[in-house]
Amino acid sequence: MSAKQTQFDALVRSLSGDLFRYGYWLCGDEALAHDLVQETFLRAWRALDHLRDTGAAKAWLITILRREHARLYERKRPQFADVDEVDVVDERDAHTPEFAGEENVIRNAIRQLDAKYREPLLLQVLGGFSCEEIARELAITPAAVMTQVFRARQKLKIMLGGDDVREAKIHELP
Amino acid sequence: MNCLEFRRLLLIDPQPDDMPFRQHASDCARCAEVQQRAIRFESSLRAALAVTVPPQLAEAILLKQATEQQRSRQRLRRGGALLALAAGVVLAFGIGLRLQAKPLSELAVAHLQHEAFILTQTRPIAEDQVRKAFANLSVRVGALPAGISFVACCPVGRYSSVHVLMPQSNGPVTVLYLTDDQHEARGDFVRDGWLGRSVPLAHGTLVLLAHDAAAFDQIEAQWRTALQSAT
Repeated sequence: MSAKQTQFDALVRSLSGDLFRYGYWLCGDEALAHDLVQETFLRAWRALDHLRDTGAAKAWLITILRREHARLYERKRPQFADVDEVDVVDERDAHTPEFAGEENVIRNAIRQLDAKYREPLLLQVLGGFSCEEIARELAITPAAVMTQVFRARQKLKIMLGGDDVREAKIHELP
Repeated sequence: MNCLEFRRLLLIDPQPDDMPFRQHASDCARCAEVQQRAIRFESSLRAALAVTVPPQLAEAILLKQATEQQRSRQRLRRGGALLALAAGVVLAFGIGLRLQAKPLSELAVAHLQHEAFILTQTRPIAEDQVRKAFANLSVRVGALPAGISFVACCPVGRYSSVHVLMPQSNGPVTVLYLTDDQHEARGDFVRDGWLGRSVPLAHGTLVLLAHDAAAFDQIEAQWRTALQSAT
């Protein structure tokens, strides 16, 4: 096996799961996420010689995946684009424990987040990236990232109800 | 840092690597309590985002990559075999590079050892699963042998293959069907303690591996029927 193939195998085995989860939350569809990750790695294989720093591999793959997703978005409108049209009051009924477990309740709430809030949150929580790294990836300022992840958590807490609602509201950013 | 600043920062990152933040958490019991709640929320959030990854995702990606590589090699062969050969000779002379393809027996045994856990599978699987695996690689099959206990599409070195396990009374026989390429003439081999047989069959090559070759003739005949009756 060539050194390039060995490196590629290691990347696929160590990062395909993380990329799948990120892709899933980006497009909202399991089969589409599978294709996205597959296409991302095929592109990565063709461009593997450009990867100089293995520590940057995850960020590099995320960049490729986001571009793939953008291409996909041009061809087919993903499900999440429609969330603004969802009747929030009806959706909140589905958040109650009678209808779903805690994870599903949170997942439904995440799906309702606007993409501009959801994506930095995904990069932070799933990707483990710092605000500076997310800012570079999304081509926005670190301050904008901090604002968006703040608002993402605030909106989630409000949607999910419970003790955190009051706190999320009273600590509103200036 | 005051309480408001602390609680705003909590919504940005519940566990920042920030000295004033940590100091405030140790000074203010109320804020420390709020932070514990935020950490619990973060843990639930992480769990909710961790959707299940499809089984064998990595294998599917590697298989696709191996297939794509194989196709581009075939295109290259068709399009400019002579040019590629000339370039290869020049390259080999120019930089002293010696290209040596690994023999099929070595690739097959290495693959089997890489996926050795499969040898423990003894329960027969549904015939549909086997047909689906072959269909994934665009291979048509007729009547299948009975008693297959495992099937998957696997990259073997640079080849695409269907990997099958057939338990026998004297130990399991691994069957690899490498698609799209008739690699070698029919023959038996011994490698790393494994007995093997490779058989050009239909449009590919059938490889059998086991510690006991007693069932090879019978299994070869069964796969000959399965693969030739469908083409």
